[in-house]
Amino acid sequence: MVISLQGRILRIALAVVPALMLTAAIPWANRVEPRVLGLPFLLAWIVLWVLLCPVFLYAIYRIEGRRL
Amino acid sequence: MALGIIAVVILGTIGFALRSIRHIDVDPRQFMVGGRSFGALFLWILLAGEVYTSFTFQGAAGWAYGKGAPAFYILAYGTIGYTIGYFFLPSVWRIGKERGLLTAPDFFADRYDSRALGVGIGILQFFMIVPYVTLQLKGLQILLSIAGYGTLDSYFAVCVAFLLIAGFVLTAGLRGTAWASLVKDVLILCAVIFAGIAIPMKFFGSPAAMFDQLLRAHPHWATLAPGTAPNGIVWFISTVALTSIGFYMGPHAIAATYSARDENAIRRNAIFLPIYQLVLLLVMFAGFAALLIVPGLNDPDQSFLVVIQRYYPPWIMGFIGSAAALAALIPASALLLSAASVVSKNVLSDGFGLAKSDAGRMLATRVGVIVIAIFALVMWLEYKSTLVELLLLYYNGVTQFMPGFVFGLIWRRVSALAVTVGIAAGLILAIWFSVQNINPWGLNPGIPALLLNVALTVGITLIAPRRRALQP
Repeated sequence: MVISLQGRILRIALAVVPALMLTAAIPWANRVEPRVLGLPFLLAWIVLWVLLCPVFLYAIYRIEGRRL
Repeated sequence: MALGIIAVVILGTIGFALRSIRHIDVDPRQFMVGGRSFGALFLWILLAGEVYTSFTFQGAAGWAYGKGAPAFYILAYGTIGYTIGYFFLPSVWRIGKERGLLTAPDFFADRYDSRALGVGIGILQFFMIVPYVTLQLKGLQILLSIAGYGTLDSYFAVCVAFLLIAGFVLTAGLRGTAWASLVKDVLILCAVIFAGIAIPMKFFGSPAAMFDQLLRAHPHWATLAPGTAPNGIVWFISTVALTSIGFYMGPHAIAATYSARDENAIRRNAIFLPIYQLVLLLVMFAGFAALLIVPGLNDPDQSFLVVIQRYYPPWIMGFIGSAAALAALIPASALLLSAASVVSKNVLSDGFGLAKSDAGRMLATRVGVIVIAIFALVMWLEYKSTLVELLLLYYNGVTQFMPGFVFGLIWRRVSALAVTVGIAAGLILAIWFSVQNINPWGLNPGIPALLLNVALTVGITLIAPRRRALQP
């Protein structure tokens, strides 16, 4: 299976985004306000990226030309 | 009554597992990697069954109860771990299938063409699994103590837990474990929804109202301490990095990977498994609720189980306890089985030429299970730490295998010597930091150890003469 160079770069970029949001962005997200659905902001931030991760992985899966 | 319900559920699950494996020949390949025949759904259940353990059920709540925001690392690391797995595991699986590998030490022995390295990795994996088994044992012991309403002392409870785990693993193999996981997952899901939603609703009106009250009582509980403070931001980020890198390095995770039917089953799994993390969010709700309802417990890992014991009828205790018991038993059996298979295959059979026959290997595997379980029991007695601390200890060890795995896949020049020195140095540093109880620069001690490991592996590879051409 051949993936174009752009496809390969995009694939890595998509994989790195949730990982960075859950590590490098933590100092920024480390706050209580604003509360999201009652959750303190830090917890809401982490939950958001946990939920978005499957979306990113699915996008990578499609770029690789695979079907579910 | 609560204990009665737990006993019925455990026996029922063993019966169910045995029924489902009755018609399958129990040869080592079936026993260890399920005949490499598991599709995406079954694999998903199996991996989830091993990833979500007593640690999930009690440990995550325990840290939410005892420490607050540092517990959030548990949500983050699995998610990144799955992303790494998406890219990493298909190659591991492909090579495993091409070369007929059954375990992680098989990979090392085969890739680096060194039987000694395979034996060494096998022995290390065997010991590194001990804290993870201790974690399950402790989870089960806490649960039995609480469900016994004070009639069982902790030493008696831990002996019962030990016997339950050993009995369970010796009656069902990997396939039995996967089927039992199905039962477990349904029960856990119900129990977690109860603990994470129903408890906050009963006591506070809603989870959001619970957080209002939590933040009034403990204003800093939901944020991390700055910088290099203990369990602060630096610790958080480095722990997420370490544990997500090591996420698939346990013998059980590699065995589960090899049991997949094809590469895409593994990729699809990686896509959907992060959703499972939401279970952990609810468990943390339960831990926070417990902090407000029953503050000041000696052992934070008891957290919401004490709330259920004190404020709910025994049949609910029995139901939640059954879920928690399976959360300990099934992963413990997968851990014990995979570590014992590694020892019987890679150490006794490949390393020393013992236990060559299938029957001999089965016997060795069973003896190995008992030996690890005994080590775990000793560790429980000697080393009083929380469930999360036990898991972090395990990760400090197993993550050191990752450079050898990754370089083995992508860099031809890396030799057995470079990998051996890297792993040895990384482990020695990690153990030294742990024994001295040092967190250098606020980091999780596994991270500097991992960096040393990588630096030595790369350095030795670069200065070593290029390998001779392979003999014909």
